[in-house]
Amino acid sequence: MASVVSGSLCIPARLWQNGPSASCLFNLSDGLADQNTYFAQRSQAPITTGTSVLGITFEGGVAIAADILGSYGSLARFRNCPRIMHVNDNIILGAGGDYADYQYLKDVIEQKILEEECLDDGFSIKPKALHCWLTRVMYNRRSKFDPFWNNFIVGGLQDDEPFLGTVDKLGTAYVDRHIATGYGAYMALPLMREEVERNPIMTKDAAQKLLVKCLEVLYYRDSRSFPKVKLIFDCLMSLQSLLSTCSFSFSPYCQLFYLFLISATI
Amino acid sequence: MAVNSLAAYNTYGGPKSIPFVPYADNGGSVVAIAGDDYVLVASDTRLSSGFSIYTREQSKLFRLSDTTVLGCSGCWCDTLTLARILEARLQMYLHEHNKPMSTPAVAQMLCTMLYYKRFFPYYVSNVLAGLDEEGKGCVYSYDPIGYCQQTKFKASGSSGALLQPLLDNQIGYQNMENVTPEPICMEKAMAILKDTFISAAERDIYTGDSIFINIITKDGIQEEKFTLRRD
Amino acid sequence: MSIMSYNGGAVLAMKGKNCVAIAADKRFGIQAQTLALDFQKIFEMGPHLFIGLPGLATDTQTVHQRLRFRLNLYELKENRHIHPKTFAAMVSNLLYERRFGPYFVEPIVAGLDPKTFEPFICSMDLIGCPNMPEDFIVAGTCTEQLYGMCEALWEPNLEPDDLFETISQALINAVDRDAISGWGAVVHIIEKDKITTKTLKTRMD
Repeated sequence: MASVVSGSLCIPARLWQNGPSASCLFNLSDGLADQNTYFAQRSQAPITTGTSVLGITFEGGVAIAADILGSYGSLARFRNCPRIMHVNDNIILGAGGDYADYQYLKDVIEQKILEEECLDDGFSIKPKALHCWLTRVMYNRRSKFDPFWNNFIVGGLQDDEPFLGTVDKLGTAYVDRHIATGYGAYMALPLMREEVERNPIMTKDAAQKLLVKCLEVLYYRDSRSFPKVKLIFDCLMSLQSLLSTCSFSFSPYCQLFYLFLISATI
Repeated sequence: MAVNSLAAYNTYGGPKSIPFVPYADNGGSVVAIAGDDYVLVASDTRLSSGFSIYTREQSKLFRLSDTTVLGCSGCWCDTLTLARILEARLQMYLHEHNKPMSTPAVAQMLCTMLYYKRFFPYYVSNVLAGLDEEGKGCVYSYDPIGYCQQTKFKASGSSGALLQPLLDNQIGYQNMENVTPEPICMEKAMAILKDTFISAAERDIYTGDSIFINIITKDGIQEEKFTLRRD
Repeated sequence: MSIMSYNGGAVLAMKGKNCVAIAADKRFGIQAQTLALDFQKIFEMGPHLFIGLPGLATDTQTVHQRLRFRLNLYELKENRHIHPKTFAAMVSNLLYERRFGPYFVEPIVAGLDPKTFEPFICSMDLIGCPNMPEDFIVAGTCTEQLYGMCEALWEPNLEPDDLFETISQALINAVDRDAISGWGAVVHIIEKDKITTKTLKTRMD
């Protein structure tokens, strides 16, 4: 700084004035760590991203749906990035936003589940607890100015009652019967609210139909979306097939809409 | 400093990204009215951000004890955190002293908790309502960094500016002639409270859907719901 | 700080049954410093026609004078009183002529139709976009407070006396919650056969 000032007073600037001084001993790794304490230049923008996530509760269960595209800016770069995870037998978790942050948190959650299994006490984490935990994690990171750039939707059965909650990158959390993030909040949520108003007690099939409709609408207008989606159900009924592939053709404008159905049972 | 000594290794950092903003304005309004032996505190149930409504049924009232309720509006993630810490500290107090904290004591504690984060504040407008040790209604209102004021009535949040003059007039008897100021009975307070929210929902997009009203008396807390316009 | 809140002030108008009311505060200040308590923001533009010009004080006076000029020409040319609707259009035109270097005023027009005596109110933004609602209009530095008051107090078909009480309470309680409005107020009630002008005392702090 001082050299800049002297430069302005027409005294020639020191040679290589920006560089490290010659008489110092350098420890680059320490220096870099130091740099972080002075500058909060961290994950300030998402890199590989997922678009909207949709969640809905129905009679005796919840469902979460999202496509499997990992976008790199406007580039549709990774075409097999499933971003809904099966946490345990009664929790499912969907994520939008930065895929790397999601993968990191997925690892942390999987480790939590593993440790819980190892206790072998018959207890497992419930959706409300996971939702609350995620809220704290997200809020802590935003308070360090180093947020996890995600929108999460947590779904599951809390003592046989459907639970659906969401957390965003700030730690803003709430619970509702139907939740959509990203462009879904503008395009899918009105459809979901309309349907739920008309039909408050929804069956699993009606919920699936509604989600597919929403994904279809999003595919038409959200340029970061993709026609391959993952949809997970968590409900009281025991489902036979764990993985089934359905195809829907829903308009002359697009060819086929693949829907991978992965059903979680309890 | 290490930072300056490494300046030579700085390279062009790429295009500038929008800086991360740790706050959001999630709207919401809270109104509290204190009487001689009761307090009413109400919040709307709309949680929103910009032009989208996150949910239509999020109460912004936190029951801290049998005589104290906190109403919050502003940044919802800060609200959640603040309310959780507050609840934890009240629990600690309960276990340490074997009695719940009085409303004035909660008010003072909230003040210190807010000021503790003076340089990275909780972006929340708080209204604390409850009964004091004598069973009289009291309302405390705060700014985000811990300024505290005790009043008889308060409107805060996104509709604070719309509602406060109405309360001044109808409950504080401001600019009224030939009227003897007398304490407001609960029925009248309730009617005014509902009217204020109806008015606010007409003009404020961050207030609407419905309101939750907590009625605090010596017999405990009753809750009432009242629907507002949803557009 | 916005130039619109450099001097401070508030104006509102309301429709009643066969009458309209327009009211304003009387403060003139520079930011937080109050300089005068008798600043005129409402001007009589005809037998049943008033305009309120809250905003930057210099523009309040300039716009008033330019409107007076245009109105005089209109009346000479047409040899009749102007219709409030026409007058509102005139104000709107004047403001839009300065679209990219506007007068910092948000006019409120209130009056009665010269033939039918139909109540008329109209508010505008500073570049002349008109708005003619059925109930009330507000402008100035405490619009939020005014909206809150008016939404709660106003009702349809108020008689002149009730309209006076309503508009006065709305204005006074609103300006009391604004640091740069108040210091006295004036209310005009416009009826078919009379105009009542009342000045109100308000708190002076």
